[in-house]
Amino acid sequence: MTLLDVTSPGNVSVVLFFGTIGMLALTIGLIVFIIFHQRKVIRYQMKLQKMEQDQQKLLLNASIRLQEEERQRIAADLHDDAGPLLATARLYLNENLVNLDKTTQLQSIYNAKQIIDDTIQLIRNISHSLMPPTLKNFGLESAVNDLFQKISGSGSMNASSRFHDYRERLQAENELIIFRVIQELVNNILKHSNASFIHLTQNTSGNKFFIRLHHDGRGITQNDFIKLNKSNVGLGLKNIQSRLKVLHGKIFFEKDMSQTYYKVTIELVKEEGDKLQEQE
Amino acid sequence: MLVVIYLAYFAEILPISFYLIFLKRNRGEGLWVIFLYCVLSLLTEGLFVLIQQQLVFSGFIIVQFGLFSYYFYSTFRQKNFRYIALLGSAVFCVVAIANFSNERFTWIAESLTSILIIIYCILSLYEQIKDPETVFVYRNKKFWVTIALFIYFSSTLFLYLFSTTLSREQRHMYWAINNFFEILKNILFSVSFIIIKDHSTPATMEYIDN
Repeated sequence: MTLLDVTSPGNVSVVLFFGTIGMLALTIGLIVFIIFHQRKVIRYQMKLQKMEQDQQKLLLNASIRLQEEERQRIAADLHDDAGPLLATARLYLNENLVNLDKTTQLQSIYNAKQIIDDTIQLIRNISHSLMPPTLKNFGLESAVNDLFQKISGSGSMNASSRFHDYRERLQAENELIIFRVIQELVNNILKHSNASFIHLTQNTSGNKFFIRLHHDGRGITQNDFIKLNKSNVGLGLKNIQSRLKVLHGKIFFEKDMSQTYYKVTIELVKEEGDKLQEQE
Repeated sequence: MLVVIYLAYFAEILPISFYLIFLKRNRGEGLWVIFLYCVLSLLTEGLFVLIQQQLVFSGFIIVQFGLFSYYFYSTFRQKNFRYIALLGSAVFCVVAIANFSNERFTWIAESLTSILIIIYCILSLYEQIKDPETVFVYRNKKFWVTIALFIYFSSTLFLYLFSTTLSREQRHMYWAINNFFEILKNILFSVSFIIIKDHSTPATMEYIDN
């Protein structure tokens, strides 16, 4: 005997009616829920997509602005320094044409030579700031050591670096990007942190490549970094972010475990090209 | 009441016609199973009018379950769901073999079919909303087939469950429920055969926000 068999005939109609209505309501409810839920998910996905696009736009703007600033700096260097130097050298050389006195001629040629030497040095400096020759010829480790030696040499801050596992160089363009990121970070520390030391370490773990920077000044945390990245200020940080995006890298800003130092960690995944270079 | 019965018969021709008209856009979707079901359903009605044997309906219930199980088995993407479809078929086979000579076979088989198909429909809908390729679920042919079966079997479940306890007059009266949802099911099948498969990606669906 089943439950259905014991249902009295009078109640059958009621159970059948409400059962069918109930099942139908449940089914339609479920279908409507699915449709609305899916629309909600799509809206959410599109919102995320839009946020990502806005972020990309911000990064792109920052990168363009930085490029323009760099161009302006080079233009100013050439116009304000190289231009007057060369004009002065021209004046000295012109003097030779009008002045027939041998001693004066020699003096003006010597002065012109001095000025041309200065100009050569200036152009070399501009060229080095665009592409450090140490980085090109000897790699990231040497370039970073060179940079840190210069900072230490200035006497304003104690800067040291240690590369634990950098026997094989990364691809040249990747090294340049990492170097620029380090330069930007160091520049920020010098400008804003009031730190007395910077220490950089490099490590690898599996196919991951880490660079850590410690300093004892005022720093930022990951939350500050995210906020600055979303705002219109913090051009340098946006530049770091866009450079690391090219390498599919990550950056973390945090306070040290001891809460005394600020730590910046750059995490990169070694690409196929880097691995091939290692094998060669 | 007679109008509803005739309409129900007429509605069975709709999905068959639309499948044949839009044959090209219904290829490769597993919809031929639904088309075959519609054809068999129509033939069964005709055959029953001719020979008036309950065996015709008993046989049709088995074929119907077999076709729907195959449809869901072939459209499920997750392995677990496929196993559930296989398990459901095994349960149905055992119950069908054990009760085939039973005079209440139609009641048992039809109720079990309803319960199992409702479960498959829920699994299929779950899979469809989880599918990242699906932008709008209702632009998918599979969605319309699933809701057609879902609405039909959930609405007629109680009718089949109580069919043995109903008197002849009551059964005749309540059979309108079956006819009504039969019409709805065939309309939804037709929608599934008519619509063009959605190829859009979420990026092109910007108007949803407006």
